[in-house]
Amino acid sequence: MDALNNVFVNIALAIRGLFVDSHSFGADLTINVIVFIMLFLIMVVAALFLSLVERKFAHWVSQRSGPNRLGPHGWFQFIADAVKMLGKEDITPVNVDKFLFKMAPMMLVGVTLMVFGIIPFGEGMVAIDLDLGIFYFFAVSSLSTLAMLMAGWASNNKYSLLGGLRAVAQMISYEIPLLLSLLGVVMITQTFNLSSIIEAQKTIPFIFLQPLAFAIYLIAGIAETNRAPFDHIQGEQEIVAGPFTEYSGLRWGLFMLAEYGNVVATSAIAVTMFLGGWYGPEFLPGWLWFILKIWLVIFLMMWVRWTFVRMRIDHLMHFAWKILLPLTLVNIFLTGLGIYVYDLLIARIGG
Amino acid sequence: MFGKGLLKGLSITIKRLYGPNLTEYYPEVKPVLPSRTRSSMVLEPEKCISCGLCVNACPNQVISLSSEKDEKNKKVLKTYQMNMGRCLLCGLCTEACPTKALKLCQVYENAVYHREELIWDMIARSKPANMSSGKVE
Amino acid sequence: MTIEGTQEYAINMGPQHPSTHGVFRMVVHLDGEVVTGVEPKIGYLHRGLEKMAESRTYTQFIPYTDRLDYLAGPHNSLGYVQAVEKMMGIELPERAEYLRVIFAELGRIASHLVMIASGSLDICGWTPWSYCFRDRERILDLFEMTAGNRMTPNYFRIGGVSHDVPDEFMPALKSFLDDMPEMLEEYQGIFFGNEIVQSRMKSVGILPKELAENLLITGANLRASGVQYDVRKAEPYSIYDRFDFNVPVLYGCDTYDRHFIRLLEIQESSKILRQALKDIPDGPVMAKVPKVIKPPAGKVYHRVENPKGEMGWYIVSNGTTKPARVRIRTGAFVNVQMLSAIIAGWKIQDLVTIFASMDLVLGEVDK
Repeated sequence: MDALNNVFVNIALAIRGLFVDSHSFGADLTINVIVFIMLFLIMVVAALFLSLVERKFAHWVSQRSGPNRLGPHGWFQFIADAVKMLGKEDITPVNVDKFLFKMAPMMLVGVTLMVFGIIPFGEGMVAIDLDLGIFYFFAVSSLSTLAMLMAGWASNNKYSLLGGLRAVAQMISYEIPLLLSLLGVVMITQTFNLSSIIEAQKTIPFIFLQPLAFAIYLIAGIAETNRAPFDHIQGEQEIVAGPFTEYSGLRWGLFMLAEYGNVVATSAIAVTMFLGGWYGPEFLPGWLWFILKIWLVIFLMMWVRWTFVRMRIDHLMHFAWKILLPLTLVNIFLTGLGIYVYDLLIARIGG
Repeated sequence: MFGKGLLKGLSITIKRLYGPNLTEYYPEVKPVLPSRTRSSMVLEPEKCISCGLCVNACPNQVISLSSEKDEKNKKVLKTYQMNMGRCLLCGLCTEACPTKALKLCQVYENAVYHREELIWDMIARSKPANMSSGKVE
Repeated sequence: MTIEGTQEYAINMGPQHPSTHGVFRMVVHLDGEVVTGVEPKIGYLHRGLEKMAESRTYTQFIPYTDRLDYLAGPHNSLGYVQAVEKMMGIELPERAEYLRVIFAELGRIASHLVMIASGSLDICGWTPWSYCFRDRERILDLFEMTAGNRMTPNYFRIGGVSHDVPDEFMPALKSFLDDMPEMLEEYQGIFFGNEIVQSRMKSVGILPKELAENLLITGANLRASGVQYDVRKAEPYSIYDRFDFNVPVLYGCDTYDRHFIRLLEIQESSKILRQALKDIPDGPVMAKVPKVIKPPAGKVYHRVENPKGEMGWYIVSNGTTKPARVRIRTGAFVNVQMLSAIIAGWKIQDLVTIFASMDLVLGEVDK
């Protein structure tokens, strides 16, 4: 089992061994380029496959069977979707702000890829082992708000403008509970580094120590990735597609890619901070446990999406500022209290 | 408690997720429609007496027929055409026919590519070589 | 020159939009997210039915009446054939009357199911929509096995109904009625009991009682504002006075009540269906009417309670086989004015919800 656990680490070591000095600039550059390409491929395939899984899930809930023409029971549909997306005409309306219009999808995909760089997929399998791990995640994911605003403003369309402004309001409001809910975990482990946080969960995953924070993180995560019940910006029934109305072909495909990539990234962070990362019983390798736990969190997110209806925009703000934010502050207070009592008990009992 | 309705909704959804599917897989499994379904009409030219009651009963002037008199001075049917582009599928023509020459049939795959093909020549369609799949009463 | 402050702008929610129920166009004046005024523009589905009636005979017009409120199937022709029978003084056999009531109430249930389904779809609840349509399929199967078509069955005739029901009909209807309480529980659990739905719809779009009476709103919208008025009880037509059923009234006047009252009306309709199923006698299904229908010259006005509101039929006959004038007063056409009267001050998302609760069908609005 150790061999399977470390298979990717061993492959990286072998590639490094091909160079004369296994820590030279050339070796590092090669490893980084290969890792970047792999992350990009993971994101693309995950996003395409997730869109198919979402459709299947939605149809199974309403007792239908989902796409069932291509492949066994329809599981090759995502190949057809990808080919269709690449083959569509790229329409740029005349009066748009060209630079911002073309920049917005690229920025959104770039932000998602940057978040993928710090996720530890297994023991020693992290692209960039930053000491600032979780702090970097927050800083970078705030940039996606800017990308949505750029898309909404540059499209020269009233519906898009409405959608873009709604996006700004919603995403800014929900970043604060997202941030504060993870503060409890950081207080317990005293570090921002994601690999250290996983190693601190050797004995017990943090979901048992911080159940309230997990619930708040999940809700805020659903709001950050713009899924129902918080998907106003793609209001469909009211403002057609919000900031994405004027995009077609591959540009729209990039937006969808970024959205599902964000879903995977948010779930990965939830698994890292709360569910124990790559720890698990020994009969499966570590990175496989990581993937299974991501599936579990994504299942929860999809279950919520296909049951609940959308909230109204002012109820959404009310919920973020007046309900979630005080709850996170309560959580931080309780965590601090817990740490103090724990230290006191250890000091008493230990000696 | 706040949220009870939300949890009940979640329990209904998860129950249906693992339940059976209700849909039919269409081109592989073709449904058999009840015997009174009005999906198209079929004519038996031997029974038709060219009375013209169906032409008058139709709200939209879909049917046009012509007849000639043979040697015994009885009317014999020559041509019978229905313009299906104007047909409402209301069934008043089949109810009006006194000899039950014009009847309903359950063939529902009637889509065509050109508008001219919507004018059906009912006598030609009644020949067994031209009859498409489906039951005829 | 610059304009200081914010500016109002007008958005066109055009005839092609994912959430206007049919081809309905409105020009919405917005101040940020708040709606300050709405101008509805109708007429995109006008087919000239009233003019076509003048060149068709009385029996030939019945298929066209099915296309008015196309979601309620046979219920539209009920008012028309009863008006003509009033002019000609025809008495129907008992079995025909019971069959008419059964089909009219099934049409009412079908129409209310679509209203609840599209009300949920407009706020992005895809699952209640599919559950309502799954149950509506059973009603459409009942129509198909008896009358021939699913949405436009063309079943009623002047003097009775066109066919008697086949043998499979009564057991299928009985099993549908037995499954009904479980279906209503499911809708309650996934839609009406959901706190997010309640926060979205309660206290939104208040239609006060006096305003509703002044604008001549009829149907379930009026009953959700506290007025107890149902044509089936006020001026009973057909054999409705033999059935024991209540008329639900709610006093909240908001969008949630307008949706919830239709669930209660489905329950009351199933009560009527159970009683009709028990009491239906045997016999002929068509009265003795002449082959060519020529009512005596005169006018008649007859009202029925359509699922969308009150439907009135005004027929003028000049003694020939074709009517001289048919005028249809549809509930949905009059209910459109409710939108611009109560919308000021709500947000765009409330506009969609309020519009869904009005339960318009463009076939009725535009004829």
